[in-house]
Amino acid sequence: MEAKMNVPTNVKMNRKANKDGFLKKPLTVGRVCYLIFAYLVLIFIVVVSVFPILWVILSSFKSNAAILSSPFALPDTFNFDAYISVINQYSFGTYAINSVIISFGATACSLLFFSMAAYVIAKYNFPCKSLIYVLLTLTLLVPGHTKTQPIFSLIMNLNLYDTKTGVWLVYLANGIAMSLFVLKATFMSIPQSLNEAAEIDGASFTRTFWQINLPLAKTGLSTAGILMFLGNWNEYYYAALLTSSASNRTLPVSLAFFNQAFSYDYTRMFAALTMVVLPGIIIYMLAQEQVQASVAATGVKG
Amino acid sequence: MKRYSRLERRHFPAIYLFLLPTLILFALFYVIPIITVFFTSFTKWNGFNAPQFSFDTIFYNYKKLFSMSSFGKSLQNLGLWSLIAATLHVGIGALVAFILYQKPKGWKFVRGVYMIPNVISAAAWAMIYKFIFNNDFGLLNNAIRLMNPSFNVNWFYQSPAAFWAVTFTWLFYAVIVCMVVLADLMAIPKELHEAAEIDGASSVQRTFLIDLPLCRNSLGTSVIISVTSRIAMYEAIALTTRGGPGNDTANLALILVKAINDYNYGLANATAMLMFIFGIVVMLVINRVFRMNESVY
Repeated sequence: MEAKMNVPTNVKMNRKANKDGFLKKPLTVGRVCYLIFAYLVLIFIVVVSVFPILWVILSSFKSNAAILSSPFALPDTFNFDAYISVINQYSFGTYAINSVIISFGATACSLLFFSMAAYVIAKYNFPCKSLIYVLLTLTLLVPGHTKTQPIFSLIMNLNLYDTKTGVWLVYLANGIAMSLFVLKATFMSIPQSLNEAAEIDGASFTRTFWQINLPLAKTGLSTAGILMFLGNWNEYYYAALLTSSASNRTLPVSLAFFNQAFSYDYTRMFAALTMVVLPGIIIYMLAQEQVQASVAATGVKG
Repeated sequence: MKRYSRLERRHFPAIYLFLLPTLILFALFYVIPIITVFFTSFTKWNGFNAPQFSFDTIFYNYKKLFSMSSFGKSLQNLGLWSLIAATLHVGIGALVAFILYQKPKGWKFVRGVYMIPNVISAAAWAMIYKFIFNNDFGLLNNAIRLMNPSFNVNWFYQSPAAFWAVTFTWLFYAVIVCMVVLADLMAIPKELHEAAEIDGASSVQRTFLIDLPLCRNSLGTSVIISVTSRIAMYEAIALTTRGGPGNDTANLALILVKAINDYNYGLANATAMLMFIFGIVVMLVINRVFRMNESVY
């Protein structure tokens, strides 16, 4: 009788402990060792993730001599001379505008295209539906670099080499699989009865999509959009391959050129790095939950 | 047999119109490129003339590739990097996931911060690491010099340090592994843990005998993602060592880009074919090893 009573109370206690978090469990030697180990790992992770970027940002405010002589020291003052110089003398603005135009343009267009495709796949029955969906999501398995030559030749033949349009066109096809995963799930969660009601009221196919489904798919759209934008904003490989002149350079590509221009001028190099890196981090911080959730679900970014 | 109702049929034109842009992109950037890569990898093609095919020279590009010294080194590097990725890299990610799963204080902060290196450009990250590993003012060497003042290693420029310097640019940043495994852990039914507790399982036993085997799907996915991103690694090398010193950090993507810049399209596509095949092989093998097709519960 006693034994029978003990089991449930035990479980109940443990359940409570689990809810309160793992610090509330009884402390044994093993547990203390585990806690120390766990926190060491977490501290290490935070340090390797944050320190490199923090160091670059802080160093961008130091003089070149200070960077070389005392790399660990904090900057004495926050002067933005290096930033101003990079923007004014090294056409940083042009690269930034190129990056913005190409990434925004490509993301907006592909978001529209992929949401149209995801919508019909989620909501309607038609021949070859599963085949099309499987083929489109299989693109996830094709390593981006393997298509280099055909894409390079395609852009050459279209006379789009060294143009923003060429890079934009290549970016359009980025993130098909990830967007379809996310958007299809979103459209499927919108009740089918809305479409039926719209149909009865005589709404056209396009209108049902545009005015009823799209506004309700905001979360999925923003998740896919943010991930695609980050992917395009950070893309280096094709941007470097498909452009040659400074007027069409994007920010990640510009870094390699800054590295040559500022060979021993680390302050300005770090200022340029900071300006390239910060927008991505800010966008991520604003949309942390969405980025994390979709990375966890799909295992890909961008 | 009438599979589709009249109402459904009425929508067919609109449906295919909606699919059209995506399908055009798919054809233009996936289907045609992959077919081109496959067929032209067996032809002599210098980029100016049309690809030339004959059965005598069917493996011309592959033979040429296999005879390159940088190719042998690339395979060796890929092998070692894949091994490190599949064990240490995935291990670190999974370890962090298991710790975060216990929800220690500040776990959301760690999860958020861990993602940062992944949301910035790989090019910028490579550049940052180039400076961190700088011999004169880099963080790493100066930290080591606090203990050993005579320490001097030019990480990205000398052998064998360059290989490890490139490895360190990605080794610890297993946030995708961490997120995928964490999502899998969170999906484990609470009843299983309660049952284990009633049976008197310790938390170590629970971790290794219940949680770990139950997330074998996400672990398999993680290995696939990690190894295939080693095949595709480019920025971390191109912006730091450029494959050097010698061929120490050579890899297939670098060979491919060089072949394209030399208008050696046949060779480039043979390299691309190998990258593609390696990816597929990794996926099939890992799928088998982790029995990813069988249901877990």
